[in-house]
Amino acid sequence: MPIAPATASAARFRELLDPERVIEHPLERKLYARDGSITEGKCGLVVLPETRDEVCRCVQMASELRLAVVPRGSGTGLAGGAVPLDDAVVISLARMNRILDIEPEVPCASVEPGVLNLDISMAVSHLGLHYAPDPSSQAACSIGGNVATNSGGPHCLAYGVTAQHVLGLEMVTADGEVLELGGPAPDPPGFDLRGLAVGGEGTLGLVTKVCVRLTRNPPEVRTMLLDFDSVTAGAATVGGIIAAGVVPAAMEMMDQKMNVAVEAFVGAGLPVDAATVLLVEVDGTPAQIAAEAALVDAVGRKHGAREVRVAADEAERQLLWKARKSAFGAVARVAPNYYLHDCVVPRTHLVGVLEEIGNIAERHDLVIMNVFHAGDGNLHPLIAFDRRDVKQVERVHAAGKEIIEACMAVGGVLSGEHGIGLEKRDFMSLQFGEVDLRAQADARCAFDPEGLLNPLKVLPAGSRCGEVALSRDSLPPGTWL
Amino acid sequence: MSEAPPSRSEVAEKLAEASAAGSPLSPRGGGTHSRVGHPGGRPAEFLSTARLDGLIDYTPQDLTITVEGGMPVDRLSDIAADQGQFWPQVGAGNGASVGGVLASAASGLSRLRFGPIRDSLLQVVVATGDGRLVTAGGRTVKGVSGYDLPRLMTGSFGSLGVIVEATLKLWPRPPARQWYVRPGADALAGGRALLRELYRPGAVIVTPEATHLELVGQPEDVVAPQGFLPADPPDRPTGDALVRAAVSPARLPELIQALGALELSFAAQLGVGTCAVGVESAHQIQKVREHALALAGHAVVEDAPAELRRDPWGPPPPGLRIMRRLKAAFDPAGVLNPGLMPGGI
Repeated sequence: MPIAPATASAARFRELLDPERVIEHPLERKLYARDGSITEGKCGLVVLPETRDEVCRCVQMASELRLAVVPRGSGTGLAGGAVPLDDAVVISLARMNRILDIEPEVPCASVEPGVLNLDISMAVSHLGLHYAPDPSSQAACSIGGNVATNSGGPHCLAYGVTAQHVLGLEMVTADGEVLELGGPAPDPPGFDLRGLAVGGEGTLGLVTKVCVRLTRNPPEVRTMLLDFDSVTAGAATVGGIIAAGVVPAAMEMMDQKMNVAVEAFVGAGLPVDAATVLLVEVDGTPAQIAAEAALVDAVGRKHGAREVRVAADEAERQLLWKARKSAFGAVARVAPNYYLHDCVVPRTHLVGVLEEIGNIAERHDLVIMNVFHAGDGNLHPLIAFDRRDVKQVERVHAAGKEIIEACMAVGGVLSGEHGIGLEKRDFMSLQFGEVDLRAQADARCAFDPEGLLNPLKVLPAGSRCGEVALSRDSLPPGTWL
Repeated sequence: MSEAPPSRSEVAEKLAEASAAGSPLSPRGGGTHSRVGHPGGRPAEFLSTARLDGLIDYTPQDLTITVEGGMPVDRLSDIAADQGQFWPQVGAGNGASVGGVLASAASGLSRLRFGPIRDSLLQVVVATGDGRLVTAGGRTVKGVSGYDLPRLMTGSFGSLGVIVEATLKLWPRPPARQWYVRPGADALAGGRALLRELYRPGAVIVTPEATHLELVGQPEDVVAPQGFLPADPPDRPTGDALVRAAVSPARLPELIQALGALELSFAAQLGVGTCAVGVESAHQIQKVREHALALAGHAVVEDAPAELRRDPWGPPPPGLRIMRRLKAAFDPAGVLNPGLMPGGI
């Protein structure tokens, strides 16, 4: 039975929600046809539930009408996970944005999915606590979206990604059932459905409440900026620091092109003549800071660091982090569009892969800039381009594919923290065999046997149980697959 | 009866045969977590991973290690220690295998600082009940490519597949690490104070007789607080059987008080919420469970003779329907530890 377009179903959803919370105007729907990626889909209808029960009823209605459902948080995702296709109904969880409960004794917080990542940390800062995963978009991205993509961020190097900070989930499944998975009491009996649901990219259920683990603020923090004459020296420093037995709180790298763009944008005093800079943060007790900072300094200088700048105060530290987290915004000074990759490679292959990415840029006559989580090998090569230039767009496609292949060739993985969504979907077979993909499809079907939740995402065509109704022809022109 | 195939493909073949014949099998590593779950869910015939004990890849600079599922935890620890690294999420081996501790989600005593064992599994290769070799996750320290089957396999007690290979995230060994003990019955109040005052201790464990503390970090930070003496980690609670109760860390003090009133032997991990309780009878198991449930937690029989495992898991967990579908997908003939898991899965 084919999946129906949602456009004609507005009246049915108005039986469930106030009229203004069912959006059918074409212009407004167009706004929901995109996320932070470069893919544009087709949105049939948008509904804005404000409670869990409303989410349930909307999902049940969609199921009854055979509508594909695309859950959406803040829409900042970079892999197309929230892009609706085939006139699907978008269920936006942005209005479920209350912090429900804070328990300093655990410590944890129960929040609705539309709460913004940074707002959690701000709400608990007076308790000396914070929420550890800190994607660059943390002032805009929602916790529900973070759960869907298992988001990362610079400080995940020492503290771990979203999955390690989600204690429990309340989730509405495809048939409208409400599941309470996990919570502050660890290790509930049975299979770890909570663990499987994190990173499900909206294909396993709609998260309506999240219990997040909070992290105690470290007693002291030291942030250092090291600059180098060569990318190789910077990458060697990364390996040297880890090899010396230090896992810093964060270890980020930006290459020269990115430095120049960011410096013009933020004015943080970055050395624009350096081939690369390394932003390293260590935290902990005074003794730990002293030992680890000395080691970072020594390893950096051994590999030819020209300068090791230590942030003198919190204001300077914030400025350095602002520079790092503004990188993607700063690209607008170089070109109107960018295509961002998210591969992870073993740290020992950083140098070789960065060189190869440089070669790829040259071969395709493209500007590729690098800003990434060097400490865990999570690359973010960013191809700056202008989508109006059709010839250039073709080269961007080709270069993107070569970057992924170069990362896979050294034992890397497709995505470190952005997810697969639509954009990396057809690359999945580079990382997994047919049997592996079938097992993943089985896991997905266990949650959503009908295949109504975020169809066509994550798994390549042909590996899904419920996808008979959809075909590649339904993808809009210009979709990058 | 026990078979120990020498390769992963032979493990898979053995499973395919068992599925075709409909003859149940019980995967077995070191056998240290074999007294768990519904007793009927342990078929007499074992499928041992003892001969799958090889080191596949270890690049110390990447802090990742890939081993076969049957490798003893102690041997992995030695290999890592030679490079100044360790696997902090697991306890001492005592003959346990890597695949076995993962399958039973047996997190170590230092979980307060280093997190649960499921956070350390990066990639897994399992032989499914019908003999497929499925790889999931990735060998890099970070990755979100595809569904998190490694987490699904962790704690699945061999009922979805046999873990034949695992890639783990290791950590550099801290410059100093030491356990301490302070005898005395005021352990709870003292332990809670430590949790507030110390920055990221390895563990704060309260027993009826003492407070145990693990400190981790720079030598300057690993110094016995007032009244504490260097010691070994706490012993397992006494009793023929062990129940693992778990509540929110905020409610653990209430559980500790209740267990104290029952005069049971226990070791409670402050800040984590888990509490190992030594028991002797079904009645005691019932009492522990009642208290845990009243505090919105749960209590699982972790290690007990069959007669004490009539109700090893307690009330059925949410999502049983999904769990059944997962079981059917990974073990369609139902030959792997059938009935061991909650809900008779």
